[in-house]
Amino acid sequence: MMERLTENAAQLFLLLVLSPLVTGVIRTLKARLQTRRGPGILQPYRDLQKLFSKGMVIPETASWIFTATPWVVFFSTILAGLMIPMVAAEAPLGLFGGVLAVIYLLGLGRFFLALSGMDSGSSFGGLGSSREMTISALAEPAMMLAIFTVAIGAGSTGLTEIAGAAIGQNWRFLAPSQMFAFAALSLVLIAETGRIPVDNPDTHLELTMIHEAMILEYSGPYLALLEWAASIKQLVLMTLLINCFWPFGLQPTWFGFGAVEGIGWLLGKLLLLSCAIVLLETMNAKMRLFRVPELLAVAFTLGSLALISTFLF
Amino acid sequence: MTLFFEELRERFQEQIRSVDELVPDQVTVLLNGPDATGIARHFLAEYQARLVTVFAEDRVKEEGVFYNYYVFDRRDDAAWVILKAPIPADHPSFPSLAAELPAVNWQEREIQDWFGLEAAGHPNPRRVALHDNWPDVHPLRKDFPLDTVLPPFEGERHVYRPAHGEGVFHIPVGPVHAGIIEPGHFDFAVAGEPILYLQLRMFYTHKGTEKLFENLPIHRAVFLAESISGDSAFSHGTAFCEAVERAAGIAVPARAQWMRAILLELERIENHIADVGAIANDVGFVIANAHAGRVREMVLGLNEMLTGSRVLRGMVAIGGVRRDWQRTQVEAIESTLAVVEREFRDLVVILQASNSTRHRLERTGILRPEKASKLGIVGVAGRASGVDLDIRRDHPYEAYRHLSFNVPVYQAGDVRHRMKVRIDEVAESIQIIRAAVTRLPEGPHRAPAQPIPPGRCALSAVEGWRGEIVHWVRTGEGNCLERCKVKDPSINNWPAIVEAVEGNIVADFPVINKSFNLSYSGTDR
Repeated sequence: MMERLTENAAQLFLLLVLSPLVTGVIRTLKARLQTRRGPGILQPYRDLQKLFSKGMVIPETASWIFTATPWVVFFSTILAGLMIPMVAAEAPLGLFGGVLAVIYLLGLGRFFLALSGMDSGSSFGGLGSSREMTISALAEPAMMLAIFTVAIGAGSTGLTEIAGAAIGQNWRFLAPSQMFAFAALSLVLIAETGRIPVDNPDTHLELTMIHEAMILEYSGPYLALLEWAASIKQLVLMTLLINCFWPFGLQPTWFGFGAVEGIGWLLGKLLLLSCAIVLLETMNAKMRLFRVPELLAVAFTLGSLALISTFLF
Repeated sequence: MTLFFEELRERFQEQIRSVDELVPDQVTVLLNGPDATGIARHFLAEYQARLVTVFAEDRVKEEGVFYNYYVFDRRDDAAWVILKAPIPADHPSFPSLAAELPAVNWQEREIQDWFGLEAAGHPNPRRVALHDNWPDVHPLRKDFPLDTVLPPFEGERHVYRPAHGEGVFHIPVGPVHAGIIEPGHFDFAVAGEPILYLQLRMFYTHKGTEKLFENLPIHRAVFLAESISGDSAFSHGTAFCEAVERAAGIAVPARAQWMRAILLELERIENHIADVGAIANDVGFVIANAHAGRVREMVLGLNEMLTGSRVLRGMVAIGGVRRDWQRTQVEAIESTLAVVEREFRDLVVILQASNSTRHRLERTGILRPEKASKLGIVGVAGRASGVDLDIRRDHPYEAYRHLSFNVPVYQAGDVRHRMKVRIDEVAESIQIIRAAVTRLPEGPHRAPAQPIPPGRCALSAVEGWRGEIVHWVRTGEGNCLERCKVKDPSINNWPAIVEAVEGNIVADFPVINKSFNLSYSGTDR
């Protein structure tokens, strides 16, 4: 019991503290590639601190959904984060359904975000909500297929089992089915974290926004919660991707010296993935909105191929 | 007087009172009555003429009438034709041309709002330049004092045309926008993402600039002209100075003419580079914008070195330019441009190599050539849609009489080609500056100051980086102006955006808008 609590506390700490850092690193790397200096990797922490100490403006037309959403989004994301293996194969929280629960917890957050976008009564919020729903309706199935491919290999949808099966098979990702699944999940990651070429996290143009348009009316602590939740979600999805496919350095349990080594490996792999994201974002323009479904259709096809090839090879 | 006017006089004997050419290449045709539509139609049909601008003037105190001026540009003829139609003060109304010539839609309504002259038969005679909630005043009439304080506005707000249908709704955007841009209201009627119809509302930054001109000594009015549209400070300043110089018959020294041409081209290069970067930025290709910002900075630095101002303010003056250049400064132009040319070419290579960018820009926001010529679109936007106009070539001024250069014209009319026109023009401008630097004559840089004779009128047109800028002045007593009409290319081109966005998706609007990059301040004045 005590061990469980310690694990949970440790992973919670990691999620809360590490997520703004990942965002900061990605932004700084991007700035450097764009010949800018950038505000430094600690800026997301300063932003959160600033937002938490500010007052809020809440639209007159908003209902309870507007005030509930930041909490729902924040806690559902945290909960999902506790259910994935980060440092050790054993996830601290092994609730019902494993990976399916993770997907649906993230889905719950998104559902409330889309509702609050419309609830605020601003025209941009509704625009963002409708776009987000279109994209997630296509991204979720692709994500499922990719995850199922991995789950079939492990014989379980429990993330602990999946990660456990991966340990010792470091080079398994070279198998065709795993490569397809990896590619599918990478595309989903880009769509879900709102990165170029699907969404542009740095734009000020309301008419082109997806995720940012939904949270346009939020300010102060609520905005801080949503920004933080977005960072955590990004960390969760990135960790899911790297630990399912590159299990290098993943420890069997959270305890002993292994944990330090595990955290070191996690940071290294996150940095590598961040570099890949930054390169992709810098080298590409944003897609035309109506082409995003095509990209996600590719992800879905790759996911299907992955699933089929698990039975073939 | 040429054959053209002989014919014109014969044909419209009843209507024409006199024809004169007091300023070279500017023929003023004085009519007997307020109806200019017959002759205007004749010009448009017979000579493929283009109606450049329409404006009014209050001469009630002196002559008991208002005047409406119609400025025409005939193909292959460098002379401007200006129809001058008197409108009696006791019956302030003139027949509208807007139904057949949508290009004058807003300009005729400006006359309505500012002078209280009714545009009879206008298809949409609602307020435009003064918003609906303004009281019933006409600020450009001479009997409206500049220091008038109006009561708080309590009138009705503007009503937008509603859109109906299953899943059809409005997205109001503005008037205040994100980022550092000026105010303007955009009302989109959309069916999901595709745009059905866009309604524009401008004139949120109406400053009464044309009224202000009437109360300033001319040497100070130059600064006012420079602030009409901040990104075209030098072009507007030059257009104003030339109008006054032509009216007063001041000969600008050759050196100043060439210096002005160099600075006009520098302004064009600076803005085009910024726009190329900004268009890439709006489709999320940030790296191109970063490079464009770097290259533009070199031009801005050169500007500062040449004039003391990064945006070329305070340089142009009546009779020439305010300060001369030393040899080292002229040499710096050449060396800086060599770097700019090379770096800009690299930037273009990056842009052309990016398929994702190309996919976003191609066939986005198409303005068809027939629409463009019908709406009277000018400048970069026009040339990307087959409107082959360039004041530098068609009505050469300053040193452009001695320069030859290409005018890029494309037919496709999409965002990509509006960017292409800019890219081509940067290269042309660099060549123009090179030629100008080698031919820069020695001599004075400014004509000696002299009093400006009153009662003279003149028109001047300058090809700013965005398109044709037209100024028309009437000089007054004591080195002041009676009237100054300012036409920025933006007022022609806003309807082009309405046309270009139709059928596109809302998410593409920002980049379409950016590809036109019109001036709010220049429109609103």
